[in-house]
Amino acid sequence: MLSRFLKSREAKKLFRDKSAIVAMVVIAGYLLVALAMMFDVVSRDDCANVVGPNSVPGFFLREEPERRYEIARTSLFGKVKRALEKSDPEAALAEVQLGKLRVADKTPAELQAIVDEAVAIQDQLKEAESLDDDPEMLSLLETFESITAELVAPLSGSDRFMHGVALLLGTDAQGRSILFRGVYSIKVAIQIGVVTALVSVLIGAVLGSAAGYFGGWVDALVVWLYTTFSSIPNLVLLVVIAYAFQATDSDVKDTLLPVYIAFCATFWIGTCRVVRGETMKLKQLEYVQAAKTAGFGSMRVLFRHVLPNTSHLLLINFSLLLIGAIKSEVILSYLGLGVKSQPSWGIMIRDAGNNGDVMTGFFWQIGTATALMFVLVLAFNILSDALQDAFDPKHL
Amino acid sequence: MSLIEVKNLVKHFPVRGGLLNRVLKKVHAVNGVSFTIEKGEILGVVGESGCGKSTLGKLIIRLLEATAGEVIFKGRPITHLNASELLPFRRQMQMIFQDPHASLNPRMTVGNAVREVLSFHNIVPRQELATKVKELFSQVGVNLDSIDRYPHEFSGGQKQRIGIARALAVNPEFIIADEPVSALDVSIQAQVLNVLMDLKNEFDLTMLFISHDLKVIDHFCDRMLVMYLGFILEEVPCQDIHADALHPYTKALLGANPVSDPEKRHELTVLEGEVPSPYHPPQGCPFVTRCPLVTEQCHAEMPPLVERIEGHRVACWEV
Repeated sequence: MLSRFLKSREAKKLFRDKSAIVAMVVIAGYLLVALAMMFDVVSRDDCANVVGPNSVPGFFLREEPERRYEIARTSLFGKVKRALEKSDPEAALAEVQLGKLRVADKTPAELQAIVDEAVAIQDQLKEAESLDDDPEMLSLLETFESITAELVAPLSGSDRFMHGVALLLGTDAQGRSILFRGVYSIKVAIQIGVVTALVSVLIGAVLGSAAGYFGGWVDALVVWLYTTFSSIPNLVLLVVIAYAFQATDSDVKDTLLPVYIAFCATFWIGTCRVVRGETMKLKQLEYVQAAKTAGFGSMRVLFRHVLPNTSHLLLINFSLLLIGAIKSEVILSYLGLGVKSQPSWGIMIRDAGNNGDVMTGFFWQIGTATALMFVLVLAFNILSDALQDAFDPKHL
Repeated sequence: MSLIEVKNLVKHFPVRGGLLNRVLKKVHAVNGVSFTIEKGEILGVVGESGCGKSTLGKLIIRLLEATAGEVIFKGRPITHLNASELLPFRRQMQMIFQDPHASLNPRMTVGNAVREVLSFHNIVPRQELATKVKELFSQVGVNLDSIDRYPHEFSGGQKQRIGIARALAVNPEFIIADEPVSALDVSIQAQVLNVLMDLKNEFDLTMLFISHDLKVIDHFCDRMLVMYLGFILEEVPCQDIHADALHPYTKALLGANPVSDPEKRHELTVLEGEVPSPYHPPQGCPFVTRCPLVTEQCHAEMPPLVERIEGHRVACWEV
């Protein structure tokens, strides 16, 4: 089957299209990442855990002095300071942790000395009206940073690497790694896209071909069904189903199942319509008539002679639905009705907006989410365009 | 007993429309035709486009359901059998289609297309399937190397041969050939006709051969039916149709047929007028609008198909 496809005229046309190849490489990359997520390269916990101070800038940006001070202050320094004030500093210190960062292996007295030193500098920094444009204050800030860094136990090889990776695109307002969340969202998006597109295309193909082939009351029923479904505004139906699941107490609402159901209920319509039309055309063709004169049953004719000849439509529809599902998932999650208890680009975009962070220059969260989504959707759009051209017999 | 007996076969296609999807009018495709086909005979059906020849073929093989009348195969009426009752008859009658490019499933190798029919009807044991497919392919003259190829890799003539192989796979007694060569060019037509003729003798086939080409019919058939607007106007043996033909429409058809000898001139009858609409066929003879011999009686009443001499029936008041 595959080898035959690779030799076919359609495949040759597809592989001649350079943009399609680039798109396929990009999509393959996304799929690999999604697959890696399945094997918990980045687990759901990694996305939920705090990996560093809040709102650490991403994209290797050097932060403004005000922010650097905030970051240094809210890192381990604050926690160590509070722990030392407890009645049992040893025990309190053992619990201090920020992501993979732990307190350096020093006695409470040594730590106290470092904290005192830092607090002295902190007082000076607090008095300063502005940290900007003041070389004296800047060098003081650097000293503060290096002193607070002494509180932290140096990380070993792989931990240090992961810590660096986690901070690569910065952290969000809760100190969670944006890279991890963005990358894990690829899995969520592709999972929803693939499952929805697959199920919708399957439902659409079966209902559409049955309607087109048998006609009569089957056709009337299917047409009634999809005209009814398509007369309900798409997003409203999704919202209703999502709310309905939210109302239940079961664990189901934390899985992706409500999203699947909501999407599959509406997405099959387009495929169904197209396949129905194509089947009505195909059933007039002589090879279908020949299959009937051979005495084959309707199911055999339908599944061996009619449906395989709509496969190009199914492929194109699959890739279009996949994009549609991913985009709708983002919108729904943005509205708080989609994905629960795991990261999603929609949730990331909402978080970025909610805290008013974008206004204050905190763009790496929304930037990461939109960039990842943009590239994936663009690649799929280019691919489905190329597929459409490749399977169009009139297109050279 | 005749192999096939067709009695008063009628097919009307309803044309639906309007708000309530009512039947607005009917296409009168086949209007009560009756004839028989004897075992081993090739019966030609000729007529211009839209005269109901293909519909007739599809009615006999039950691709279409008849509005009225019946088809009797070996003494048993098959018009009202359901799918499972029909299955044994499917093994005995097959069809060869007009357009070779549309008659093979593009997503199935040609070998598989034939194999599917063989294994569905359990014609041969499983282990002999491959041999049987090869045998069929060599009988129709298709290269055995190409069994695992897909239809688009073949020429029209090759595809038509494969279509014939598929029809023959069930060892049928009766074959309906619906314009099997009209989509092919002349040199290929002759090859395919010869293949059909050889197979007819080898398998002892009976055939209904539908065509609009009188030369092909003349060459190939024992007897022919001339159809016009869903009626049989004449049934004539093919020994010497030029001499035997009586009906003015048959004569006109023969006259319009080009002759390959430039020395040989013949009278050309040019028909005037239009074919009546199949929605509203005339009350009398369907040929009244174009007939050179038309009289009052022709307008009023359809002439019966009367046997003049044995095997020669004509429906005309004037000849």
